[in-house]
Amino acid sequence: MTDTLELKQRLLAEFSTREQLLNGSRETPLHILRQDAMNRFDELGFPTIRHEEWKYANIMPALLIPFSSAQPSNLTSDEVCNFYLEGIEANILVFVNGYFAPEHSKFISSEVMMSNFEASLKTPIENSRFAKISGYKNESFTALNTALSNDGAWISIPDGVILTNPIHILMITDSREYSPILHPRHTIHCGDRSEATIIYSSHTIGENSGFTNSVSEISVGQNAKLHQYIIQNDSDLSYAVNSSYVHQERNSTYSVVTVSLSGKFVRNNHTSKLAGENSVANFYGLVIGGSKQLIDNHTLADHSVPHCQSNELYKYILDDRSTGVFNGKIIVRPDAQKTNAYQSNKTILLSDTATINTKPQLEIFADDVKCSHGATSGQLDEESLFYLRSRGIPADKARALLLHAFASDVLNHIAIAPLRDSLDKSIATRLHDESEIALLVE
Amino acid sequence: MLSINNLQASVEGKEILKGINLTVNPGEVHAIMGPNGSGKSTLASVLAGRADYEITGGEVLFEDKDLLEMSPEERSHEGVFLAFQYPVEIPGVSTANFLKTALNEVRKHRGEEQLDAMDFLKLMKEKAKLMDIELSFLQRSLNEGFSGGEKKRNEIFQMAMLNPKLSILDETDSGLDIDALKIVSNGVNSLRSENNATILITHYQRLLDYIIPDFVHVLYKGKIVKSGGKELALELEARGYDWVKDEVGE
Ligand SMILES: Nc1ncnc2c1ncn2[C@@H]1O[C@H](COP(=O)(O)OP(=O)(O)OP(=O)(O)O)[C@@H](O)[C@H]1O
Ligand SMILES: [Mg+2]
Repeated sequence: MTDTLELKQRLLAEFSTREQLLNGSRETPLHILRQDAMNRFDELGFPTIRHEEWKYANIMPALLIPFSSAQPSNLTSDEVCNFYLEGIEANILVFVNGYFAPEHSKFISSEVMMSNFEASLKTPIENSRFAKISGYKNESFTALNTALSNDGAWISIPDGVILTNPIHILMITDSREYSPILHPRHTIHCGDRSEATIIYSSHTIGENSGFTNSVSEISVGQNAKLHQYIIQNDSDLSYAVNSSYVHQERNSTYSVVTVSLSGKFVRNNHTSKLAGENSVANFYGLVIGGSKQLIDNHTLADHSVPHCQSNELYKYILDDRSTGVFNGKIIVRPDAQKTNAYQSNKTILLSDTATINTKPQLEIFADDVKCSHGATSGQLDEESLFYLRSRGIPADKARALLLHAFASDVLNHIAIAPLRDSLDKSIATRLHDESEIALLVE
Repeated sequence: MLSINNLQASVEGKEILKGINLTVNPGEVHAIMGPNGSGKSTLASVLAGRADYEITGGEVLFEDKDLLEMSPEERSHEGVFLAFQYPVEIPGVSTANFLKTALNEVRKHRGEEQLDAMDFLKLMKEKAKLMDIELSFLQRSLNEGFSGGEKKRNEIFQMAMLNPKLSILDETDSGLDIDALKIVSNGVNSLRSENNATILITHYQRLLDYIIPDFVHVLYKGKIVKSGGKELALELEARGYDWVKDEVGE
């Protein structure tokens, strides 16, 4: 047990060291907040599997890895450009080991304010967006991030701006020399009547492990629309806990598609607070799990006012000894009459040793609401497979076709065709399929 | 073309086919009739290569090759086609999409060139017209939400696209309205040639008014107990199966 405590001690020590360097600015509201967060992390510690919300996500083995605080790293443009999205004219914000890398970034939409968290902290007004949406009182990873985060994307879409080009937040972890631990902090604000698409992708370079503890705070203003596509493509030695907190105002729409392709341990906490009437939250997720991966999606649709809607569809394809977790919580607070909340989790198990743990959690305190949830899991349908083969399609292609069809429900929510196509290809590769799935889906 | 010799098959230890003998030559149409549960679909499934069945005896030669040794896709490449009694619904896979892959696999095997999107569309239009199917229909998820009759029509459309040597139609007529029955029968007839053969599994003489069989067989308790010409179907229609059962000695 002493071993697993060590990482915690190192993180506490890091905070003290940083504190000492602050000198005069120790009394700022920001630092006081960070101190409080660090104390909270100290009290909570890392969650164990005895914690109901972390029952299947055992983080303890990660704590034995000698992670050390991530340092900036200079990547060549060749190393970075592999991760740019082909065929998409996007604003690109690159972060290497959690630090903003302006030399690899690209801004094409001048009407939007894009910068990094560190720079944004210098302006007191923006300062006030920090930790306004996320609560860290009960979430030790969020508390830790609040205390130690020093960089991340900072995006503000002004009122009324319809952004034509997406923003790509590109996170690269360089684990070539050591096992870095990083706490990126992203702040996204969509002004009233604005519309934007944000693509978030994470990747690893290097053979060591890595630990990303990210927090995103997202506010979606009145009548605004935000589409978010998250591509998780870290190495199979990496750990990630991503916590995203969304606050939605009246008539807003927030849609997110999370595609988890790799990573040894991926925990996504996705919370949307529907705080204004007629707002809509759409959570879609696709998980491709293999080896001994663990992918855990925890969602919370928090309905606090009437006439809102939340839709959730999470699909898992699990192979080898991988474990999938889906925990979908829906809260309908007493005032939230006429709520519509749907939730569905479907899983295909490709091996006997893959498992899915799914748990819907409905907490409904209003009477005039429509809520539904459902979960299915099973093997690839043998009847369908035989049907396709009997038409001359070889077994491996037939399998790929069926898996692709299964995934397409989720992928079809991605409105950018080149992104969808590249995901189709990654998924085909991920499923070890030689077949030209790209041809099948043209 | 097809030669089934003393074929025996069982499922979960239960013997269902108990020694089937049947020879089908190019150009012929064979009708197989028989009471519910007698093994007709099992025979069709075994010929198409469904894995659920254990072959416990006998052999099946297709153009002198051992059919039972082949995977379902190989059988299709060789020219065997099964129109399913209960076609599956496959959400997310459109008929057009999967059929293009299927057709090109079959063509690859025949040493023919791959069809590009244009040629494929042209062929699809032609065959869809033959079966009176809207093109938009073929873009929908395979059989999902299709009516019973639409599913059957889709099966014959696929047959027209793949142009098999041996077609096995398992109760394709069940669930078809009178107009659809004519369309499907015309489709099947227009695909007939002296090089291909058809096995029709049916309960009703009506289909055989449109597609005239050369032979009619009665399958009962896993065996072909009686064979005859097309007049046998009329007799069965009029008299039912009891007299056949009596002849067998039950
Ligand atoms: N997979 C299976 N598992 C168990 N029993 C089976 C299976 N397949 C077929 N059978 C049994 O085998 C027998 C023959 O079934 P089959 O479907 O071949 O009959 P059929 O002649 O096509 O009948 P119908 O006219 O009703 O379509 C039936 O008793 C059926 O229950
Ligand atoms: Mg049958």
